Amino acid sequence: MIHFYHVTKKFDRYSTALHDVTFQIEKGEFVFVTGPSGAGKSTLLKLILRQMLPSEGQVIVNGRNLNAMRRNQIPYFRREIGMVFQDFKLIERMTVFENLSFILTVLGIPPKEHKKKAYSALRAVSLHHKMNSYPLQLSGGEQQRVAIARALINDPLVLIADEPTGNLDPDLSNDIVQIFNEANLRGSTILLATHDRDLIRRSGRRVLSLLHGRLTDEKIPTPEPIAARGGESLFVNWS
Amino acid sequence: MPREFMPGRREPDVPSGAVGYFVREALRRLWISKRTSFVAIAMIAMSLLILGAFLLVSENLERAVAQWQGTSRVTIYFAPDATPQQIAAVDAWLGAHGDLAQRKFVTREQALSRFRSYFTDLSDVVSQLDENPFPPSFECEVSPRLAQSGALAPQLSELRKYDGVDEVQFDWEWIARLRRLVNIINIAGFIAGGILAIAAAFTIANVIRLTMMLYREEIEIMRLVGATERIIRGPFIIEGILQGILGGIVAVVMLFALFTAARGFIVPARSILWGFLFAVFLPWPKIAGLVAGGMVAGWFGSWLSVRERG
Repeated sequence: MIHFYHVTKKFDRYSTALHDVTFQIEKGEFVFVTGPSGAGKSTLLKLILRQMLPSEGQVIVNGRNLNAMRRNQIPYFRREIGMVFQDFKLIERMTVFENLSFILTVLGIPPKEHKKKAYSALRAVSLHHKMNSYPLQLSGGEQQRVAIARALINDPLVLIADEPTGNLDPDLSNDIVQIFNEANLRGSTILLATHDRDLIRRSGRRVLSLLHGRLTDEKIPTPEPIAARGGESLFVNWS
Repeated sequence: MPREFMPGRREPDVPSGAVGYFVREALRRLWISKRTSFVAIAMIAMSLLILGAFLLVSENLERAVAQWQGTSRVTIYFAPDATPQQIAAVDAWLGAHGDLAQRKFVTREQALSRFRSYFTDLSDVVSQLDENPFPPSFECEVSPRLAQSGALAPQLSELRKYDGVDEVQFDWEWIARLRRLVNIINIAGFIAGGILAIAAAFTIANVIRLTMMLYREEIEIMRLVGATERIIRGPFIIEGILQGILGGIVAVVMLFALFTAARGFIVPARSILWGFLFAVFLPWPKIAGLVAGGMVAGWFGSWLSVRERG
């Protein structure tokens, strides 16, 4: 589903965000990308969303070579991908419902279906009672969940999330990862960038580790025994 | 289930539900940036008002020309000292020429009385004169077809040579002059209105550009979630078109107010001299044309600004 072949991304002569990165994510996988700040996680996600092009190498998503993609094809490609941005990227002057409704308009869903779909997406993140609130009236965690609802509203083929639990307390983080698990069960390929090592350890998912723009490690961690987590069974090892 | 990728699947650039979204967004943006929108609407209204004023004058002149064309007339004015014999000679000549045989003799007294009835506000001036300044004349009715043919020109030259004849006036010559004047007014109106409309379009372009600057983050988000350029630009284009239509409507309302005021205040005081200039308002097709002109200017302005985004 997502293939990186010797991808390098340089911003200038002295700044290389990614260096010769190669990996492959299969359809239906749930993968974490981790690494410290500045490791290149966000650049990697931006390359997948075709927000930028690699300086070298090839990025192939869903069978499409993004290097060769024409500009007018980009919007249609992005409609297949749900993205949760680190800074949420909600339209502040629109209500929560309008933020979701706009995506449905872009996708050509008839307006009469918008309310039902938006309600259902917001219910999944427990924010259905905030449909008419504006983003700035919500807490950081609530805005994060609206951004997740927006990314999931179209059942995307690929769901990319940049630090989706960064603003949330541990309980809420668990709930959010559970939402991603459910999307993964419905068939979406998930790529989640985070530096929350605890979250990764508990999930038992495949991990791509980045350091200074290089892919340093690729592994499938063993999840902690359920008993060790005090009987918590929020995460299941799907791999 | 996620929608499977289908190579070659082409989704519509602008989904059917997007048109309602465009209009709602455009109206909302117009309202939010009402001050800058007001400037754009005022510019469009002013340019269309000027164009409309020219059209109104030419419309009324054309109407007058059309009325006069129906009764083309040759008038033979005699010198004040023309003798009855000289007048009789011309009368005989007219009688012998079929084209000009439909004639009527207007005495000096009849001419004076006519002037008094046409120009009521000048009748006092005429009363103060020692003698009647109007000459006697023959008025000959000719068919519009003959008038347009040019066949009368040699006969009129012959008439001008008769003793006692001071001037031979042919309405058709003046109608032709008036027609040229109407054309000049129309051209001047279109040039002035056109230049102002282009200026207004650029004003609209700047207003839309400002709005786009205001919404640049939002536009970026829209691009990231898969909105095509047409979906992003749609509300801006509709906003420009709405500004143009509003400008056109304001121009028509202002023109009608000015027309009504002119009829109420100027025409009764100035008699028929002004009366024919304010006889009728613009017909519906021209009113619709003015509003459509505003719409086109608005569309052009917004197109100019969104085109730059590439």
